[in-house]
Formats: sequence, structure tokens, C-alpha cells
Amino acid sequence: MDKILRDKKAICFFIAPGIILFTLILLIPICQTFYYSFCDWDVLSSPEFVGFANFKKLFTKDKTMMIALKNSIFFMLFSAVSQQFFGLLLAVLLTNVKRGRNIFKNIYYLPCVLSSAALGLLWSFMFNQKMGFNQILDVFGISGPMWLMDTKGFIILPMWVISFVAMWQYTGQTMMLYMAQISGISESLYEASYIDGAGKFQSFKCITLPLIKPMVATTLSLNAIGSLKFFDLVYNMTAGGPNHRTDVLATHLYFEGFQYFKYGYASAIGIVLLVLCLTVTIIIKKGIKIDDYEM
Amino acid sequence: MNEIASVKKNKFKISSIIIYTFLAILVVFYVAPLLWMLFVSFKTNSEVFDSPFGLPKALQLDNYKVAWTAGKLGVATLNSVLVCIITLVISMIIGSMAAFAIGRMKWFLSEYTMVYFLMGMMIPIHCVLIPLFIKFSNYHLTNSLWGLILPYITFSLPLTIYIMAGFFKGMPQELFEAACIDGCSIYRIFFSIALPLAKTGMFVTGLMTFVSNWNELLLAMVFISDTNKKTLPVTLTYFVSPYSTNYVQMFAAIIIAILPTIVVYCLFSNQIVAGLTAGAVKG
Amino acid sequence: MKKKLLSVLLTTSMMVMLLSGCGSTATTDSQADASTDTAADSTTTDAATASTGTGDVQEISWMFWDDLNATEDLISQGYAQVIDRFNTQYEGVYHCTPITTNLEEYDTKLNALIAANDCPDVFICNPGPNLTQYVESGTAMDLTDLLNTKEADWYGTFTDGIFERMTYDGKIYAVPTNFAAALVFYNTEMFAAAGAKVPTTYDEWITACKKLQDAGYTPISCSAGTSWCLSMVAGYLCDREGGPDNLIGANAGTVDWTSPSFIAAGNKLVELSKFFQPTAAGDSNDQATAAFYNGEAAMLIQGSWVIGQINGNNPDFEDKCGVFSFPGIEGGADPNRMIVKTDNLVVSATTENLDACVALMKCFTDETAQKYTAEVGGKIPVINVAYDEAKAPKQLGYVMDILAKSTGTLGFYNESLASVEAGDVFDNAMVDIYLGNTSVEDGFQSVQDFYTENVWK
Repeated sequence: MDKILRDKKAICFFIAPGIILFTLILLIPICQTFYYSFCDWDVLSSPEFVGFANFKKLFTKDKTMMIALKNSIFFMLFSAVSQQFFGLLLAVLLTNVKRGRNIFKNIYYLPCVLSSAALGLLWSFMFNQKMGFNQILDVFGISGPMWLMDTKGFIILPMWVISFVAMWQYTGQTMMLYMAQISGISESLYEASYIDGAGKFQSFKCITLPLIKPMVATTLSLNAIGSLKFFDLVYNMTAGGPNHRTDVLATHLYFEGFQYFKYGYASAIGIVLLVLCLTVTIIIKKGIKIDDYEM
Repeated sequence: MNEIASVKKNKFKISSIIIYTFLAILVVFYVAPLLWMLFVSFKTNSEVFDSPFGLPKALQLDNYKVAWTAGKLGVATLNSVLVCIITLVISMIIGSMAAFAIGRMKWFLSEYTMVYFLMGMMIPIHCVLIPLFIKFSNYHLTNSLWGLILPYITFSLPLTIYIMAGFFKGMPQELFEAACIDGCSIYRIFFSIALPLAKTGMFVTGLMTFVSNWNELLLAMVFISDTNKKTLPVTLTYFVSPYSTNYVQMFAAIIIAILPTIVVYCLFSNQIVAGLTAGAVKG
Repeated sequence: MKKKLLSVLLTTSMMVMLLSGCGSTATTDSQADASTDTAADSTTTDAATASTGTGDVQEISWMFWDDLNATEDLISQGYAQVIDRFNTQYEGVYHCTPITTNLEEYDTKLNALIAANDCPDVFICNPGPNLTQYVESGTAMDLTDLLNTKEADWYGTFTDGIFERMTYDGKIYAVPTNFAAALVFYNTEMFAAAGAKVPTTYDEWITACKKLQDAGYTPISCSAGTSWCLSMVAGYLCDREGGPDNLIGANAGTVDWTSPSFIAAGNKLVELSKFFQPTAAGDSNDQATAAFYNGEAAMLIQGSWVIGQINGNNPDFEDKCGVFSFPGIEGGADPNRMIVKTDNLVVSATTENLDACVALMKCFTDETAQKYTAEVGGKIPVINVAYDEAKAPKQLGYVMDILAKSTGTLGFYNESLASVEAGDVFDNAMVDIYLGNTSVEDGFQSVQDFYTENVWK
């Protein structure tokens, strides 16, 4: 067995198309991004090498960068916690429900399928000061806050609003991944546990949870990376918010690069984002140890 | 004995009522906004600001007609379908192969290769957009559908490989050993044993790949200039003019755009839970 | 079984489409591809001649920030007609293919094309630092010689001073196609009902606002959360306080952003904003405009491009819509300067078909197009043309009257500062001041800090 799994030719056969395609298309642009992060470039003329100046400016003089970092990290933590909890909850509920499972599952996954531009528009109507939730609150005599323009607090209200909408949109995805994993757990394990007298909750704790641990690591990493990189919803709902207050790393990158024509600086932000994602992924991997269980 | 059985049955009923109520409330939260979009697509623009949450005064079917013809949604849908399906097929094939090698086969570079692929997922797309565009422009691949398909495949690979590698890793060793004893080559093991076992994983990843590429806007907008080659997300932006937005037609176009996606993903997602036998209780 | 059938169907349809659709795309020149498509479907007659690709037909591309087929914007529809006319008129000689994006992605795509050495032959551009970038990097072609010698007649048809904002060091780098002025639109019925009179000074304006408020109307509708909308008001106030010297001095480094005239303007902004609609911070531009033409607010401070939108959405409104110039400030500077904005065409310095480009620009600025601009689009023509005033929207007439009295023009403040980023900093500071997040002094101090660090070096 071992010898087959070490067959060099087979490994090359399997990995070659992916590596070749990836290298041909993405390697050079990624290397170029690294290079541009050390340059001053306005896209229209040639890049000018400036060493670490971009990075220095990023961490010492750029107030928006600090806000963006704060917002991105908040967003990542919020998404990770909320989506893991609700995704798993929904997955477990739906695997236990007999009737309507497919319908529920499809409905919960529906927001993932919609374009963020459409959703951004939709939710900015919902959270508008005059229309939307405030209209409903008006019925009860409560005057609703400025959902997308409020600027009080360490993490301002618009950031919470955007995080909730992101949770609404993407929980279905986590749920789907967990359902796929749970479906792979063999029946016999559960039957054995019931014969032994275990309750539903106990069998969840002792069978389901450990066996979906690989998926927990995967979904957590995907959540973290996705939320650090998050752009569409923030851009479409607040465009970085009142004076950059809801800026996240990706929108800050976009504005610097594509509106102010400071492409080198934007590349530097991109590199910071990349390093952040890598760090988080490594932390998650080290944190969740996966044992080889018999499924 | 009967008492215990009936008590257990009642307990089961109450908990399932609670569960169903919870699920139903969630459904309202999920469906209500989308229902609202449907209503808006039947209104006129001034109605949108006058009575945003009321029912439309009269069904403006014209919105759909204009959205379809002016936005050339027919051609755009075709382009989107073509691009997404080709991307899906190719990335699934390449991705599962690479995932198998990383997840299951033993070689010392496997971890580093995984990180190599993951970098593609971690780099923000805005960073690589312009270098990528320049490269493709030099090879005359811009303004063509292949100019979209190739980057889409490349960007879908990291996700596919990451998730599929997880599924391959979780497979029981005994199956492979048994096949090995029977004299199967590694290729046979992959194609006849590993792939079918990973069906659920493939459907999940396929679904995520299809959906993310279907809604991809930035590359489609920048790479394609030809009006006959534009994809659906691009056509949605047609309804945003420099000084105002044509909400009603835009929502009509969005509704039209969602329909094929719903069909596709219903098909895919039902396959994902096909593995769950009806009535089985899993924790 | 169902799954198998579906996958077979998908594969076959895929192969069919692959063979039919993708065949010509992979290796052929992108230009040849572009030549087989035109913007409007109706003029496919010239597709036959143009698809030869090589030969006598000069192919040029024109880039614009709105789709020409689906747009409801009257000016964009006018442009679509210009392209059609051009392609029909010069069939067999020149052909123009539009490249369109939406406004958000316009700069991204344009810059990507320029970086890839595939700059569109002609493209539309905002005046100010946006245009400056293309001039300084050598992307824009210097048109001075052309306009002064070969095309002197064409140059002579333009109204005076229209090229002022496109001239750098005496050299002209863009051609305008229309322009719009920012002023105050008001509801004549509401004014009459409240007994308010049309103001000519700032103090009169506050009085009128108070009267309107007492009569139960919302005085001003403004999308204060949209930075360029608020910046329009702030820019006017700054100019009315300190005149053109403010801008010139600020950019040159001789006037501080914290000087008294700027601070006074900021204070007036806060005072004026008390008369905005209560939801001003959260309203989008569309909403604020809709509030005006739906009869919820008495005044709207906007550019004259909004005329088409108002009349289009509420045709009855045209008769009760008046216009007045942004009031002057007593003790301040010249009250007759107008904020204007032009749509500009820039020619790529690397174009190979200059004749075609010039012919195209002439089409945009000929009498037919310019009459349309006024009569249908409600924007102001750039050439001296007599358009049918009966056909044009009534508001345009009022705008022209006000323009006739103007003594000078200035651009939007965020399009007149040192860079796009500087413009953003100014806009955002104004929004913060309005929201009450910073005091007027601190708001202007932040602009001052930005300039000290990044501009005045």
C-alpha cells in the first residue's frame, strides 16, 4: 500500500495539471504584487522602487489602515463564531428533520447564490433611515437609529449591521459543508450508541462532534479567510462608511489602488492581507488537532 | 413498556414542534427580503420611494421585458452558463486529482503544495487584477470567454483542493488496502474508489464553485469589452446610470438572473443530502 | 437516471456552444473581434463592411461609463445616437466600437487597458485631478496644434472659456461635449404657499428656509451622506466666502485650510444643514431627488443634469419647478460664480487613427448632438448653437438665464483639488462636520493636515 502511495509518477500525474495551470496564470501576478508593494506605481507610468516606504507608511501614518484592521479582525471573529454556531446548529437540525429537509436546506442556502451587488442594494434599502426596518419600528413608536451612518462606539453600528447581513448570506454555506460531512458518518455508529443507551445529545457530543472535526478546521479557515478578504457587501452597503469608518482591508485596498491610483501602496495592503490570512490559517491548523478516526 | 414508548413518542413530538417552529421563523427571515425584491420588480421607480414596502399598484410586466431586451439578458445568460459549466467541469477534474495527491498520497512536499495553492485564495483579487490583465492582453486572451474561464478555474482551484483534500483524508484506509491487495493500480483506486466515495464532497465544492463564478463581477467587467460576450453580473450594472439607478428594472433583471441558479443549485444540493437516509437520526 | 440524462444534456449543449461560440475568440486579434459587434443592433449594415477588419476602414474604440442600450439617462441615449450617426455617416471609412462599463468600474478598466498598452482611442473623463493624471502620464494627446491649425473652424464654434479647465500650461488636452451647472431648484408652489421669496443672499435664504419650515414644509432635500452632494454645497459656500483665491491659494500652499473664510463657510454649512430633511444623513442621492420631485421638500441643490431625471419621473413637476443661483454671502466674494462640470473626451496619445478620432469628436459636438443635449437632455451645449427653446425643458431656460449673468466658473471642489484623494479627504471632512462627528475647526484641520503631509512639499 505504502509503495503505491509513494509512486512519484502517479503523484506527478495527479498534481501536474493543477500546478501547471496555477503557476502559469497566478504565480507571476502574485510575484508582481510582491514587487509592486515595494514600489510607487500609478499604473499609467512606470513603477518606482521605494523599498519599505509603503509598509512604513501603512503602519505608522495611515489612520484608515488601523480602522480597517480593527474592522476586519472584528468581522473575522464575528463571522467565525456566528457562522460556526448557526451553521452547525442548522446542519444538525436538518439532518434530524424528516419532512421538508430539502426545502429548508435550499432556502437557507439561497442567499449565497445571490450576487453581493444585488444584496447590498437590497439591504441598504432595508436599513435605510426612512424605509425598511425603521418603518416597522415606527409602527411601534420607536424611532430607529441611523443603521448605516451611526458613528458611535469602538465598533460602530454599521459594522454590526454588515456583519449580520454577511451572516445571513453565508451561514447556508457552512451549513451545507457540515451536512456533507455528517452524511458521511456511518449509520452503524449511531445505532450502536442507541443500543448502548445513549441519548440524542450524548451521541451528538461523542460521535458527531469528533467526526466532523476535520470539517470544523476547514470551515473555520474558509470563514476566516473569506471574512478577512471581504469586499462586496461592505462596498455595496456603505462604500467604506462615513469617512472610512467601516473600511475593511479589502475596501481600503480598493480605494487606494483604484481610486487614488496608488497601486504600489494597494499591493502593500494586499501583502499584509495575505500574511494575515496565512497566520490565521496556521493558528487554526495548530489549534484543531485532527485524529484519524474510523468513519 | 408501552408507557415508556408513548412517553418517548410525546417527547419526540414536542421537540420536533419546537424545531419546526424555529426553522419556519428562519425561513421568514430568509425569504422576506427576496420576496420584497420580487415586489419591487413589479413597481415603477417613483413607487419605490413612495411606498417601498407596499404591494405594487399595478404589475409592471414591462420591467421584465425591457430588462431582458435592453440588457441582452439572453446572450448574457448563455455566456454565464457556458463559462461557469466549463469552469466547473475542468476545475473539478483538476482539483480532485490534486486534492487526492495532497490528501492521500505520501510525499514530503504535500503540505507546501497545499499552502502554494492556498495563496491563490488568500491574495485579494484586486491586487492581481492588473498584472493578470496585462498578461492576458499580451496573449490576446482578453475579450474572449476563455480569457474568463482560465482565471476562474485558477481561482476556484484552491477552494476545491482544500475541501476535497479534507474529504479524501477522511476516507477509511481499509478500503484502499483492500483494493490494493486486489491488485488495483493507484489510478484505478482514484477513479473507481476514491472519487465515487467523495461524491458528496464533489457536489458541495461544485456548488460553491459554480455559485461564486456565476456572480463574479470584477474580472468579467474588466476583461470583456464585447457586448455579446458579457456575463450576467455585468448586465446587472447596466441599470445603474452615472447619476441615478433604475431600481425596478435592475431587480427584474436580478430575478431573471436568479432563476437558472436556483434550478442548478437545487439539483446539486439535493445530491448532497442523498446520502442521508430518510428518517435516520444522526445526533 | 435523471442525473445521467442531465449531465449528457449539459455536455452536449456545452460542446455545441463551444464549437459555435468560442471558435473565433482564442487567437484572433481582439480588434477584429470588436469590429464584428456594434453598440446598437439596428446599424448592423456596416458590420458587413467593417468585419473585413483590415483594409480601408479605420477602427477606433470609444470608452464610456454607461451602457448605451439599457440606459435611461437621456444624455447617454444621446451619445448612443451620436455613435450610430457616426458609423452610418462614415460607413466604409471609419468605424467606432463603444466599450462601456458602469461608473464604478470605469477607472479600473480604463487603467487596466492603459497599463496593457491597449488604451481606447477616445475616452470620456472627469475634469480636475482625474484628467491631470492622464495628462501628466502622457496618456492624453495634446490637441492644441490640431485645434489651432487644421481644425480652427471647429475650434471656433465652441463657446468662450469652455476649454479653460482642460488647458494645462497653455496646452489643450480634452474636448468637452456638454456641461452642467450646479444651482438650487425650488418648488414654486411651496414658496408661494409659505410666503417665502427667492433669496439672493445667504441671510435671505435662511429666512426663506425658516418660513418654509414654519409652514410645515421640509426646506431642503439633500443627500448629505453622499460625499459629493454635500461637497457641492460646501464648495459653493467656500467660494462665496473667499472667492477663487481660496482654491488657488489652498492648492499653492499660500492659504491655510483653517483660515477664517473656510471656517466661516463650514459654520454656514452646519447652519444650512439644520434645514435639511431629517433623514438627510441616510438618504441616497436618488432618494433625496425623489423627495424633491414627489413634493416632499421645497428645494434641491444639484447639478442641472437632474432636470432630465425630475421631468422624466414626474412630468407634472416641470411647471412648478424654478431655479435660482446659489446665493451670495454678504461681505463675501463674487456671488455670480457657478460650479460647472463638463463631460470631456480625451484622445489617446497612442492612437493610430487620429482622423477617425477627430471625426468622432466632431460628431459629438455638432449641431444635431448639441441641440439634443439642450432640448432633450437638459444639459448645456458647448457650442454656440440656437436650439429650440420651446422643446427644451423649462428649467434649462432658467439655467441659461442665470448662466448669462455669471462672471466665472469653478469646478466641483472635489474635482479641483490636488488629487483625487485630496478631493475625497475634503468631501469626507464635510460629511463629518455635517454629522457632528467633528467640529468645523477640526474638520478643516484634517484637510490641512493631509495637505501639509502630502501636497505642500
